[in-house]
Amino acid sequence: MSAGDGYRGRGGLVGYLFAGPYLVAYGALLVYPLLAGMALSLHKADLFGGREFVAFENYRRLVSDTVFRQAVGNTLYFTLLTVPALTVISLALALALNKAGRLAAFFRGVFFSSSVLSVTIVTLIWRFVLTPDGGLIANGLKAAGRAPIPFLSDPHLALPGIALTTVWWCLGLPMMLFLAGLQQIPGELYEAAALDGTSAWRTFWRITLPLIGRTLLVVVLIESVMQFQLFGQSQIMTQGGPNGASRPIVLFIYEVAFRRWDVGYAASASEVLFALILLASALQYAATRERRR
Amino acid sequence: MSSLELTNISKRFGAVSVFQGLSLTIAAGEFVAFLGPSGCGKSTLLRIIAGLERADSGEIRLGDQRIDTLAPGARGVAMVFQHYALYPHMTVRENIAFGLRNGGAPKAEIAERVAEAARVLEIGPLLDKKPGTLSGGERQRVAIGRAIVKQPRLFLFDEPLANLDAALRTRTRLELAQLRRRVRATMIMVTHDQVEAMTLADRVVVMNQGEIQQVGTPMQIYDRPANTFVAGFVGSPRMTLAPVGLVPGDARFATVRLGDGSQVSTRVPRADLPSEGLLLGLRPECVRLGPPRPGEPTAQVEFIERLGDRTLVYVKLGDGTAVTAEDKGASQAQVGQTVGLRLAAAAAHLFGPDGRGHHAAGRAG
Amino acid sequence: MTAAGVKGPSLAGFTPAGLAGVALAAAVMITPLLWTVGLSLKPNFELMRDTSSVFGPPYTLENYRAILANSNVFRWVFNSTVVSLSTTFGVLALSSLAGYAFARLEFRGRRALFVAVLLGLAIPEQAVIIARHQMFSALHLHNTYPGLILPGLSAPFGVFLMTQYFRGIPVELDEAALLDGASHFTIFWKVLLPLTLPAQATLGIFTFLASWNDYWWPLISATRSSMFTLTVGVASSQMNFAQTSGLGYLMAQAVFASVPILIVYALFQQHIVRAVAGAATR
Ligand SMILES: Nc1ncnc2c1ncn2[C@@H]1O[C@H](COP(=O)(O)OP(=O)(O)O)[C@@H](O)[C@H]1O
Ligand SMILES: [Mg+2]
Repeated sequence: MSAGDGYRGRGGLVGYLFAGPYLVAYGALLVYPLLAGMALSLHKADLFGGREFVAFENYRRLVSDTVFRQAVGNTLYFTLLTVPALTVISLALALALNKAGRLAAFFRGVFFSSSVLSVTIVTLIWRFVLTPDGGLIANGLKAAGRAPIPFLSDPHLALPGIALTTVWWCLGLPMMLFLAGLQQIPGELYEAAALDGTSAWRTFWRITLPLIGRTLLVVVLIESVMQFQLFGQSQIMTQGGPNGASRPIVLFIYEVAFRRWDVGYAASASEVLFALILLASALQYAATRERRR
Repeated sequence: MSSLELTNISKRFGAVSVFQGLSLTIAAGEFVAFLGPSGCGKSTLLRIIAGLERADSGEIRLGDQRIDTLAPGARGVAMVFQHYALYPHMTVRENIAFGLRNGGAPKAEIAERVAEAARVLEIGPLLDKKPGTLSGGERQRVAIGRAIVKQPRLFLFDEPLANLDAALRTRTRLELAQLRRRVRATMIMVTHDQVEAMTLADRVVVMNQGEIQQVGTPMQIYDRPANTFVAGFVGSPRMTLAPVGLVPGDARFATVRLGDGSQVSTRVPRADLPSEGLLLGLRPECVRLGPPRPGEPTAQVEFIERLGDRTLVYVKLGDGTAVTAEDKGASQAQVGQTVGLRLAAAAAHLFGPDGRGHHAAGRAG
Repeated sequence: MTAAGVKGPSLAGFTPAGLAGVALAAAVMITPLLWTVGLSLKPNFELMRDTSSVFGPPYTLENYRAILANSNVFRWVFNSTVVSLSTTFGVLALSSLAGYAFARLEFRGRRALFVAVLLGLAIPEQAVIIARHQMFSALHLHNTYPGLILPGLSAPFGVFLMTQYFRGIPVELDEAALLDGASHFTIFWKVLLPLTLPAQATLGIFTFLASWNDYWWPLISATRSSMFTLTVGVASSQMNFAQTSGLGYLMAQAVFASVPILIVYALFQQHIVRAVAGAATR
């Protein structure tokens, strides 16, 4: 690959011409805002350009801010609600649909289809599935003679309601990742197990699961990072309510930055989130590297 | 058709030095083969000539023009790549015309030259196909077509036959020889296969570890190998190289003594021979078998290879020196048998301690 | 269905229990969609009284007619189309050019720059969005198409993907083209780019989908209703639910807004799955 020199772009000018447009976009729209955001987090800044250096004051504020602490708790709780459910359900679907044939392909298409919808369509659909006031679930409960459940207005049920919506929306991707992992397992292993008279249950635990261990890890990490960034569902379905019971970190950042215009403070919260996500990304990178070897 | 002159070429990849001051001249219209073991720098030299690698120092002239400062496309050089490197998304016609289009040739002329190349190479019916649908031999002809259509002053072939199966290889070798006669241009071919080099080339450049070992016609290379490397690399099976001592005397030609005491009277002039550390070089066809006779070496048969038309017999002299001999197809030799060796002493070579070859006087070369 | 059809081929490799389970899960999966479609086909006043009226006729297309009469929605679809197509085209162009440079050309700092671009994969939107919003305010780019398009062009995934893809193409092709007198741009444009079509399709579809569905940036950048993308527009009518003309209308909007992307999905299903999975595991 390193073959050749001289003709590969006279003194580098050609290289810069080709890479330049992207590098400019990258520098101006990603690197600069990243650094500016870090700087911003050390300032008390508002919408009108007022800026005062306060060092780590914003971070100190965050630690003692009960609203932020609640948001961190909510985010962790939501991740715990969704990631295991997504993992188990999508793995079960992948196992059931890891087959050739049109019928299996059709079902795969069905389970992935929700993934292509935007968050606003998904929330629109689910608000009127979940609402106790004539929603789909309420109708079902009524038919069974039960009282409706106030999903989005009960502090204990708001996040679970959003989690339900999210699992419905997001299970296509992990299912496809599991299917890709399952495809890597040589069929002979299953034939050998079948000849030995191994039960399906035992085959799953002794052959399938160990062989897709990496995929499992990757799915858990990817989904953790994704669900950690919960925003649209809460912002649209509950506005973080009731009483902040469904406000995640990203919604906190959004509200502080774009509703209260306390931009420096919001920037410090986003740096905290960045650090957490970076940690998970590093884990994911380590896991995928290991797998590729 | 132009002569090529390489002067003092040096090239290193990081810490690895490939060439140190290599020089070589190729006459106009010559077909030259670079022959050498894998990794000796043949491809690198070809790529330096083409402009795909830049030499660290040195000069390259094609005809009366210095080309090492020019872009690859401006050198008047065409190359047929080892894996052909046809553009997969273009038809054969587009592949062949691509270089002409880049040069801005008029449409009519492009069409005419593509048609001419197709006629010479008999690939007319393939012109509207994509490379992916062609066989290996067809692809190679297209690759050659892409080269000749540019009417280059110099053709470069990198291992042109290496990717073909045995039957196709022989046929393509013949085709290359014919192409050679139809297309008058200077040609260089890289190969690690001595049969290709010997059969196709006017002259062979034998290389090892980035250094030119010998330049000569195939018969010169075979009959008068410049050193032990060339002697061992060219010819199959390898020439036997046995340590010998020089028998004192003042005859015109050297007589040497093998490890088992038997003597060989060569036709190599004694004049500038070193007196110690000599190796005797014997091609297998210069060593025949017979019943043991006094005054001639005797040996024990170790291993026999029957090739049908002839038989190779690997024997060991009394002192353990290994010698390869040739016998007729229906050889009677048996492993363990003691045989006499009839040496064609007039065809023997001697090599000094520096590896340099000394050959029988007066033989054609 | 005949008795013989129950086993073997007609189950397409499923066990009866497995098929029943999958079918049930699929039913749960599509029930919310059917519910939405059902509501969209009912008159609003009837839904006000009781949503269970959805389980029986009469059905009407009145809500869809109302959408067609509402110029806002068309404006949003138009905006989304402009923004998504421009972003996609821009990302394909920038990523291909940069991918070629990183894979094939030598220039000072190439390795370091490529590593820097790869590190960009780990930067989440939250870490840049506030400063970027301020920057775009200063440049008066909010409520403009460039304001909606430009941020998408900085995503490193495309450069990563195209660099890998260019690296997989044999260098001999470039060299053959060089000897054919091709310039770097000719090599890029005529020899290599046509060979990257599969990667272009994957990247293009992924970018289009991500751009079409993007929510946060257009939410804060496009504050004027005439510059809303469809995603933001649908959110806004949903938040103003009380003032809109009713549940049926809202649901018709959900269906209407899903149609373009579901058509894209139906057309490019394989590509989309590959693209999304590829981007997730890169
Ligand atoms: N691009 C390169 N980078 C580093 N070393 C190289 C490169 N190309 C060739 N070499 C080294 O140069 C030597 C000659 O290689 P090459 O010319 O390909 O040999 P040949 O064609 O005779 O087999 C080898 O040792 C090879 O490893
Ligand atoms: Mg080579």
